[in-house]
Amino acid sequence: MLKRKLFREIRINLSQFITILLMVMIGVMAYSGIEAYMAGMTKAADDFYGKNNLEDLNVLGEGFSKEDLDEVRNLDHVKNAERKLEINVINSDNNDKGFLASFIETNEISKFYVYEGKAFDPESKGAWVNKYYADANGIKVGDIIRFKYDTMEIEAPIEGIIHIPDHLYTLRDEAALLPNFEEYGFIYLSYKAIPEDYLKETVMKKMGLRDESVLKTLMPDLNYTELIPFNYIMVDVDDKANTESVKNNIEDNIESAIAIIKSEDTASYSRYQGEIDEGKGFVGIFSGLFLFIAILSVITTMTRVIKKQRIQIGTLKALGFTDSAVQFHYIGFGFWVSLIGAALGLLLGRFFIGNVFMGLEMDFFEIPNNGAIVELKSYIVALLVVLGISFVTYLTCRKQLKENPAETLRIELPKVKSGTLGFTTSKVFRKLSFAVKWNIRDVIRNKIRTLTAVVGITGCCVLIVCALGMLNSIDNFIKLQFEDLYNFNYKLTLNQGLNRDDVNSLTDTYGSFTSKTLGIEIKNASGEREANSVFVYDAGDKIRFKDKDDEFMDISRDDGVYITVRLAENLNLKVGDTISWHIYGSKEFYDSKIVGFNRDPQSQILTATRAYIESLGIEYIPDAIYTDMDLSGQKDIKNVEVVQDTESMKKDISGMLEMMRSMIVIIIFVAVLLGIIIIYSMSILSYSEKQYQFSTLKVLGFEDSRIRKIFIKQNNWIAVAAIILGLPLGRALTGFLFTICLEDTYDFSTYIHPLTYLVGAAGTFIVSFAVSLFLGRKVNSIDMVSSLKSNE
Amino acid sequence: MAKELINFNNVRKTYSIGEKTFDALNGASFTVNRGEFVVILGPSGAGKSTILNLLGGMDKATSGEIIIDGKDISKLSAKELTHYRAENIGFIFQFYNILPTLTVIENVELINDIVKNPKPAMEVLKGVGLEMHADKFPNQLSGGEQQRVSIARAIAKNPLLLLCDEPTGALDSQTGVEVLKLLKEQCRSGENTVVIVTHNSLIAEIADRVIRVKNGKIRSNELNASPKNIEEVEW
Repeated sequence: MLKRKLFREIRINLSQFITILLMVMIGVMAYSGIEAYMAGMTKAADDFYGKNNLEDLNVLGEGFSKEDLDEVRNLDHVKNAERKLEINVINSDNNDKGFLASFIETNEISKFYVYEGKAFDPESKGAWVNKYYADANGIKVGDIIRFKYDTMEIEAPIEGIIHIPDHLYTLRDEAALLPNFEEYGFIYLSYKAIPEDYLKETVMKKMGLRDESVLKTLMPDLNYTELIPFNYIMVDVDDKANTESVKNNIEDNIESAIAIIKSEDTASYSRYQGEIDEGKGFVGIFSGLFLFIAILSVITTMTRVIKKQRIQIGTLKALGFTDSAVQFHYIGFGFWVSLIGAALGLLLGRFFIGNVFMGLEMDFFEIPNNGAIVELKSYIVALLVVLGISFVTYLTCRKQLKENPAETLRIELPKVKSGTLGFTTSKVFRKLSFAVKWNIRDVIRNKIRTLTAVVGITGCCVLIVCALGMLNSIDNFIKLQFEDLYNFNYKLTLNQGLNRDDVNSLTDTYGSFTSKTLGIEIKNASGEREANSVFVYDAGDKIRFKDKDDEFMDISRDDGVYITVRLAENLNLKVGDTISWHIYGSKEFYDSKIVGFNRDPQSQILTATRAYIESLGIEYIPDAIYTDMDLSGQKDIKNVEVVQDTESMKKDISGMLEMMRSMIVIIIFVAVLLGIIIIYSMSILSYSEKQYQFSTLKVLGFEDSRIRKIFIKQNNWIAVAAIILGLPLGRALTGFLFTICLEDTYDFSTYIHPLTYLVGAAGTFIVSFAVSLFLGRKVNSIDMVSSLKSNE
Repeated sequence: MAKELINFNNVRKTYSIGEKTFDALNGASFTVNRGEFVVILGPSGAGKSTILNLLGGMDKATSGEIIIDGKDISKLSAKELTHYRAENIGFIFQFYNILPTLTVIENVELINDIVKNPKPAMEVLKGVGLEMHADKFPNQLSGGEQQRVSIARAIAKNPLLLLCDEPTGALDSQTGVEVLKLLKEQCRSGENTVVIVTHNSLIAEIADRVIRVKNGKIRSNELNASPKNIEEVEW
C-alpha cells in the first residue's frame, strides 16, 4: 500500500519530482558525458597506439643504409626498427592535391589499421591510402591513384583504406593550421613500388653519368633498392623507460642520424594528447560544477519535499508503522527519482555529450574505434549521487521521526527567530515598503533555500560567462595574432635548401623582411632535452612582439635570446639566466643568455635577432619572407613552397577553433537548461512555502498583481545577487581554464567582452524573471478557502 | 426599524469532487441587520464555513443572491471581489493567519497598504491591549495574543463586516472569553457587524441573532431577545 502511496505522492507533486529528476539527469549527464568523451579519446588512442605498435622514436636522416638499420636494431633495448622514405608528392590528376607518401619495407611498427582491403604486402605495387582522404575524394579499393615527385611518376591501384597510429593528424606543411582531407592525405607503398629507372637516374645524376652502360660497368652488382634514400628509421623500444637511453645511444652511434624525435613530440601525437590534456581540465571543472550545482539544488528540494510530509509521517507512525518502514518508504522518494534521473543522465551523457564531442574531435583526428566510453568511475559517481540523495532523504525523514507522533501530527508553527530578525525592526527598516520588509525577512528565515538558489543561479551565470568568455578570448587571440603581431599581408614560405642567390632574387622582388625558424633541442633543468625552435627575426615591423604586460616591445638585443613567458615559467628561467641549445643535425651546443621575455599566444619558443645568430656562426638563410604586396591569385612562385595571406590564415585558425566553439555552445545550452530548471525548482519551492501567506494577503484584500510583485521581487533579488557573484567568478574561471588547462604551447590572456557580461547578466535575469512571471500566475488561482485550512 | 445588511437569498454552492458533485449549501436564505452580533451554528460539514467564505467574497456561489449593504456580491468579478474584501471585510481565523515575518504593529499597518482610511495601528493595538507588544514578532506571543493581533488587523480596516471562523477554536476557555469580549465590544460600539461561525453552542447565548445550519440548509434564523453577557455564560 505504501508503494501505491509513493507513486501517487510523486504524481501529485509531479512538477517538483520532474525538476529533481531533470537536475539529477543534467548533472550526471554533464559529468558522465564529458568523462565519456575524455575516456573515449584516451582509450581510442591507447588502443590504437598499443595494438598497432606506434613507434617510440623517429630517427631522421638523409639516407639510412641497411647497415644503419642493423646497427639500430642491435642497440640495447631496441626491440625492432624499420626504415621508411617519406616524401611529399603531388597528385598527377590534380596538382592542387597531394600526399605524404611513405615507402616502407615492412609494417611491424606503426601498423596499418585496415578499414577496407588488404594488409600490407611488401611485394605489392599497390598503395594504401588514409580513410579520410579516401572518403573526401570518393576513392575505393581497386581505384587507380597517380602521383609524381621530381621526375618520378607512380600509378598504383588502391590496395587498402587505412588508419595509421603515427598519422592521427596530418598537416600539409608547417604553414597549414588545419588538416584538409580533400586536398591532402597520406599513402603507403612498398619500397619496391619505387621505379628502378628513377633510382638509376638519380644515381647517375649524382655521379655525373649520362650513359647507363657506364654505370653498369662501374657497379655491376648494384641492387637498386639499396639506393633508396630512406629518411626515417622508426624504432620500437622494449620498455618506455628506456626510450631516453636508446635515443642517446642512437645519437652517439648512428652517424647519419640528424634528429631523433620521441613519438610524444611528433605533431600527430602531441596535438591529440593536447586535446586530452585540455579536456581533462574542462572535465574536472565543468562537469564537477554542473554536478555540484545540480545536486545542491536537488538536496534542498528533496529536504523541503519530505518536510512537507510531516503530518503524513506522524499519521503513519501513529497508525503503528515502524520507523524503518516509514524511513524506507520516504527514502524511496529520493531513491527512485534520482535513480531514474541518474540512469537517464548516464545514457544521454554518452550520446548527447560524449559522442557529440568525440564526433567534433574526429573531424580532425583519424583514429579507428572511436566512441565515448562511460567508465566505471561515472557509474560510481552516478550511484553516489543516488545514494547521497537517498541519504539526505533519510536524514530529513529521521529528523521528523524523532518527534513523537502526537507532536508530528501537530501543525508545525512557522519558525521565526526574533533574534535574527530583530535588526529589521529598526528605524531604517520601518521606512521600507511592506513588500521589501516581508521579502527581507523571508530571505533571512529561509537562508538555505535562498543560498541554494543564489549558488545555483550563480553557477549557471558563471558557466555562461565562462563559456562566452572563452569565445571572446579566442577571438581576442586571433586579433592579437593576426592584427597586432602579424603586420603583413602575405607570408611566403620558401622551399627548403635554397642558396643565398635564390633567396636574394626573392627578397629583391618581395622585400627583405625575413625570418628563419631553427629546429632545436633545449636542455631543461634536469638535463633532459626537449624539442623547440628559435625564431630568427629579421622582419622589421612586419612581425611585432608584445611583452609580459601585453605592450608592444622591440626585439633588438644582439647578445642573447628572448624567451616566451610561458616557456620561461615552465623551464623556471628568468632574464639573465643561460639556456643551452643545439640545432638538429649539429652536435654543437650554444649557451645563450636570456635577454628578455615576450608573450606569444600560440608558440612557446626562443626568439633571436639575425645578428645574434650570425654572431654564433650560424648561417642565416631565411625560410620566410613577409610582404604587403598584393599577391592575390599568385600560387606558383619559384622557390616558394606556399603563399599565405593573413586573412586566410585567420580563417584557417577560426576553422580550427570551430570545434571548440561547438563544444562551448553545447556547454552553454546545458548550463542554461540547468539554470532554468534550478530557477524553476527553487521558485516553486519558494512559492509553495509562501502560498499560505499569499493566501492570507489575498483574503485581506491584496490584489493578485501586488502579491505577484512581492513574489517576483524576491526572485529578482536572488537573480541580481547571483549575477553580482557570477560575473566576476565567470571571469576568474575563464582565466583559470586558460592558464591551467590549455596546452603549454598556448598563452592566451583572458579577455571578456563587455557584451558577454551583459549577455550573462541579462540572460540570467531574463530566465529568472520569466520563471517568476510564470509561477507568479499561480497567485491568480490561489484557492483562499483551502489554502487557509492548513497553517504554514 | 433595523437596517438590513445581509440578504443571503436562496444560495446554492456545489463542489465537484472527481465526477461527483456535493452541495455544501442548498438554497440557504437568511438576513442579518446592521450592528448585530451573529452566530452561525452547526455541526461539522453543515455548510457554515461555506456561508462565511461566500459572505467574505472568498468563494463564489453556484446560484442565488448575496446582497451585502444593497449590493449583490455574487455577481462581482474576481477583481471586484478583491476590492470588496479590502474595503468591507475583516477576517478573523481559527489559526490567526498573521504573517510570521511581520511584527505585531506591522501586521496591523499592513492594512494601510490596501485601505484608504484605516484606523491608526497603535490606537487599534491599544484597543486590544497589545500596545506593549507592538514590536514583537508573532511567535513571541501567546495564542490569545496572536488572535488579538488578528482582531486588531481586522478592525483596523473599520470593516462593514467582521467575519470570524471559529475564533476561539484554538484557544483555552479563559483566552476565548477575552477574545469574544473584544469582538462583542467592537459590535456594541456600533462600528461593525460581527458574524461568528462556530460549532460551540455556548457562544450562541451571547448572540443577537442565531442562525442554525444543517446539511447545507438554514434550519432556523432567530433573534435572541435577551442575549447574555459573556460573564454570565458558563464556559
